[in-house]
Amino acid sequence: MIEGTKRIDENTIEIPIGFVDGMRVKGLIFVDRGLEEFLEEGAVKQVANVATLPGIVKASLAMPDIHTGYGFSIGGVAAFDINEGIVSPGGVGYDIN
Amino acid sequence: MKDLVEVLYREIPAGVGSKGKLRLTKEDEKRLLRKGARWAVEEGYGEPEDLEHTESGGMIEGADPSLISDKAIERGKAQQGTLGSGNHFLEIQYVQEIYDREAADALGLFPDQVTIMIHTGSRGFGHQVCTDYLEVMEKAARKYEIKLPDRELACAPFNSPEAQDYMAAMKAAANYAWANRQCIMHWTREAIMKALKISPGQLGLSLVYDVAHNIAKVEEHTVNGKRMILVVHRKGATRAFPPGHPELPEAYKNIGQPVLIPGDMGRASFVLIGTEKAMAETFGSTCHGAGRVLSRHQAIKRAKGRAIWREMEDAGIMVKSTGKRTLAEEMSEAYKDITNVVDVVHRAGISKKVAKLRPMGVVKG
Repeated sequence: MIEGTKRIDENTIEIPIGFVDGMRVKGLIFVDRGLEEFLEEGAVKQVANVATLPGIVKASLAMPDIHTGYGFSIGGVAAFDINEGIVSPGGVGYDIN
Repeated sequence: MKDLVEVLYREIPAGVGSKGKLRLTKEDEKRLLRKGARWAVEEGYGEPEDLEHTESGGMIEGADPSLISDKAIERGKAQQGTLGSGNHFLEIQYVQEIYDREAADALGLFPDQVTIMIHTGSRGFGHQVCTDYLEVMEKAARKYEIKLPDRELACAPFNSPEAQDYMAAMKAAANYAWANRQCIMHWTREAIMKALKISPGQLGLSLVYDVAHNIAKVEEHTVNGKRMILVVHRKGATRAFPPGHPELPEAYKNIGQPVLIPGDMGRASFVLIGTEKAMAETFGSTCHGAGRVLSRHQAIKRAKGRAIWREMEDAGIMVKSTGKRTLAEEMSEAYKDITNVVDVVHRAGISKKVAKLRPMGVVKG
């Protein structure tokens, strides 16, 4: 268990607002207890960092195949309101499509 | 199987910086960037039915080649129609297990059926687009005074010219990737027909689905009961739209969008379908693969003194690669067990397992 995160059910852990400064929404990572062992601290921090970006909606999400990437974790999903939100190349990565 | 893998390895260019068999002019490439897989089909690489089973019909509107650097155009010209390296692959597989009969029927999948999976993207072209626009976005983030906890999160407001330019360039790269897989699929069909001396009718190799997993798209979603237009970033995550969604092809309207999860070369890959729960909880998204547990460097160290290709052959999987290094980096133990990953998204309800595919032959870059 990475300090500061909490398990909310069998398949999901939450990164509460406040895990890093400026989070606008919570983070949610879909992992069970088995896969949680592989969770990298850096990747969890990346999910939290994404939650600070302007216009992010609902939650900064990550899938069970999460690992550390450029800025945004690989396995990450983030949705931004088109009126107030941003677009980031790091949210797509180098291997486009 | 060994012969078939040899043939595919010969016919599908693979490896770092590998060059394709297409001879594209700049003008050809610009048409390809606007039209994606549709360009490929118009040029004779595949069938119109393929496009019906491709996300966004293999082409996103709004790609603008004039916003692409000469360097990206140059890299893209030579690499269209190539597999590349790293985790990209072409596999001959078979359906080892069916979890959902009704969905499998709709997708045309049945036990012991032979399948082909192609995992590749926009190659050096997309890489260059990302590099170019990260530079643009670093400046933009300063200009618009966006506070970033990490400079790698460089971004710009969706409605700014910088963000709109990136979207138009990223769409060109997405189209490049769809065209790339379409060409490779076409040559795969040709190669198998030639090798087995059979006709297209006898081959019967139709496309189940082609789906992206590194892309940003403008979509409509319901958030707290309110319809919203969002730009959804999926990075190593796959769109997983539910039954009835207007973007699904007719044949899949009742079961949901097919999701392809390429696994590591020694274990398995999966076919899933999208669900209502994904739409409600994850903006219609699910996982994309196994995810590494060993870095490339660690994997190479772990593989020292071993013949990975022989270990795989002993396990009944024929593998052909341009280099020993790729095989070391890509060996099974470098990845999480894909079954565990897929089980989580299945249990969480953000997609549903349909079929497990077991590799028999692998072409790696």
